[in-house]
Amino acid sequence: MSKFTKILILLVFVSCLIFIGLSAEVVTIKYAHWNALSEAYNYVKAFEKKYPNIKVEFTLIPEAEYSQKLNTMAMTGTAPDVLCLWECDISRFAKAGLIDPLDEYVKGSKEFTLDDFIPAVRNLIKLQGKLYGLPWCFATEIMYYNRDMFDKAKVPYPTEKWTWKDFENAVKKLTVVKDGKVEQWGCDALGFQGLWYSLIGTFGDEIVNEKGQFAIGKGAKEFLQWWYDLTNKYKVVAAPQVTTSGIITADLFVAGKSAIAFNGSWMTSVYKDIKNFRWDIAPIPKGKRQYSTLHTGFFAIYSKSKVKDAAWEFIEFCMSEEGQKLINKAGNNPSARVSILKKGYYRVRGPMGPVHWDAIDKTAQFAQWGYVLLPPGLTFDIVKDFNAVILGQLSIDEALKRTVEKAKDILGEEAVVVE
Amino acid sequence: MKEKKSIVPYIYVLPWIIGFILFTGGPIIFTIILSFTKWDLITPPIWIGLSNFVRMFKIGSEFWEILKVTIIFTIFSVIISITWALFMALLLNQKVYGVTIFSFFYFASAVVPLIALTFVFQLILNKELGIINYILSLIGIKEGPNWLMDKNLVIWVVIILCIYTYFTGQMMLIFDSALKEVPKELYEAAEIDGANSIEKFFKITLPAISPILFFNLVTATINSLNTSFTLIYPLTAGGPGRVTQVISLDIYNNAFKTFRMGYACAEAVILFILAVIVSIVQFRLSKRWVYYEV
Repeated sequence: MSKFTKILILLVFVSCLIFIGLSAEVVTIKYAHWNALSEAYNYVKAFEKKYPNIKVEFTLIPEAEYSQKLNTMAMTGTAPDVLCLWECDISRFAKAGLIDPLDEYVKGSKEFTLDDFIPAVRNLIKLQGKLYGLPWCFATEIMYYNRDMFDKAKVPYPTEKWTWKDFENAVKKLTVVKDGKVEQWGCDALGFQGLWYSLIGTFGDEIVNEKGQFAIGKGAKEFLQWWYDLTNKYKVVAAPQVTTSGIITADLFVAGKSAIAFNGSWMTSVYKDIKNFRWDIAPIPKGKRQYSTLHTGFFAIYSKSKVKDAAWEFIEFCMSEEGQKLINKAGNNPSARVSILKKGYYRVRGPMGPVHWDAIDKTAQFAQWGYVLLPPGLTFDIVKDFNAVILGQLSIDEALKRTVEKAKDILGEEAVVVE
Repeated sequence: MKEKKSIVPYIYVLPWIIGFILFTGGPIIFTIILSFTKWDLITPPIWIGLSNFVRMFKIGSEFWEILKVTIIFTIFSVIISITWALFMALLLNQKVYGVTIFSFFYFASAVVPLIALTFVFQLILNKELGIINYILSLIGIKEGPNWLMDKNLVIWVVIILCIYTYFTGQMMLIFDSALKEVPKELYEAAEIDGANSIEKFFKITLPAISPILFFNLVTATINSLNTSFTLIYPLTAGGPGRVTQVISLDIYNNAFKTFRMGYACAEAVILFILAVIVSIVQFRLSKRWVYYEV
């Protein structure tokens, strides 16, 4: 055997060893989400760059089918290694043993501690006993207003101190009627389903109490009567429009036909494209208490995953400042970590607004998970009845009776409290 | 050799049989079994006997309301869509210049994805921003109806929108080809006897295409019962209240929104039985009005 042949064989052998070694080191984790990855703020790509030994296989699941798809995948044992679970699913998955507690992982983390999270996250841990998921970011429900319309009507801008009385006075002044037809509404109808629960919450109902029970009653009754009057008696709030899965196709606020609208904070990423009027945001007005609903998805580790350490490394990166910055900027959603929230990475504003981003930060201090912990089918069905009340098709008492009956039927007698 | 001959045909149909068992027969049997259980998808099913059916049919249950909406929707959507498809097919059989262009336009709406179509109609029918109410305002109606939220109007709006579905377009094509097969001599003979257009339609056209009409009637009914979900879910989601909540939509909500898979399967079993009963009745009645020979 010539010297050249020996060297060649040795080189091939070493190359094979390196190749085998490298192949063995690269771990692939599966990860699914309802949001497409942003080109500019791709946190998955950033993670892969930082951890070249871990590859992330990303699956995009449409939002409307997200929950059912994850449930089906879990049922068939094909769930991704890292799940981003909705609030209504996390308890069910935890009870079924489909996700692992993260307490030990978090204890060993150098990136963050649990003290850094907004109060609602710590409360959820209390409710569930252990930490099963970390919020990838959060969103809440707030009030949007058209500054130009407020200026024209000489109505002072809303502040965090606004009460429902202030709101009522304002919408009466902001409504413009011409030839017997409303040209400009004081406030748009409630489109997104969660708003009903947030507004009812300000009227005193707990929505979901500390025992995890669905608690509704007097507050809902009082709110529905008042909202009915604003819509039908005073005609200062637009009549309900059809909403399917929480999507509303005709937005009066964007169309410049309504001075105020309630919506999720995520709409700042949509409204930032408004170019024809100045707009801003404020917390939902106070009633008997300040209340709003929090929304998020929780990073969790699938209990049957074979790459749990790599899955945790991905979650830890996403929860780090580097990961959170990208996630926050991608969807205008703030971080649930207070230290990062303060830095305001999520504040990607448009040319006409918003200005008072602190409305979201302040809302985060009092907002609760509320209705999002309940099955979406139940809460959405109830909203259909609430809409029927505002349209004068169903009495308030009948709607509330149906609400309680349906809730008891789905959740069980013991899981419902009539306030 | 003889034995080999008898096996070969079965081998040919084997792929279909396997497909049927795996994707149709199996799921049907599994659905029936699950209808006797309580199952939330992620924990093992619990056998609860007839509880799902008892809950469904108890007095005051919302299922009765949903059943009523389903029956009303099915009857009228079938009548409207078949009448529309037949009317369009008759127009396409007129000797007019550029009939193929008309044919394209009539069928175009049927090939637009239903989800896109429903969102467009949500906008068109919107109370504040919709074009229909805008047109009404031009003729003096200041306060146009809230088309998709008025409990007296919405079911009829949904029924009328069935004419834009793919299925109605498909029926139009089937009617179109059936009408072209009706012997021309019959019309010529009727004309000599002095029959007018209406008489020709009822005495010749309808009896001649009655087998096709019957086929469309049965398939439209089953389609309406089973797949009304695809139209109603994105359009109204069953609201306001339960005014447009049909069984197929309720099955989806129970299975995937409230994770009551057992109850949803029980509803699916009832829907299956309903479709079978309606089909049997239609077949029985067909003997009185369907002519298989011209």
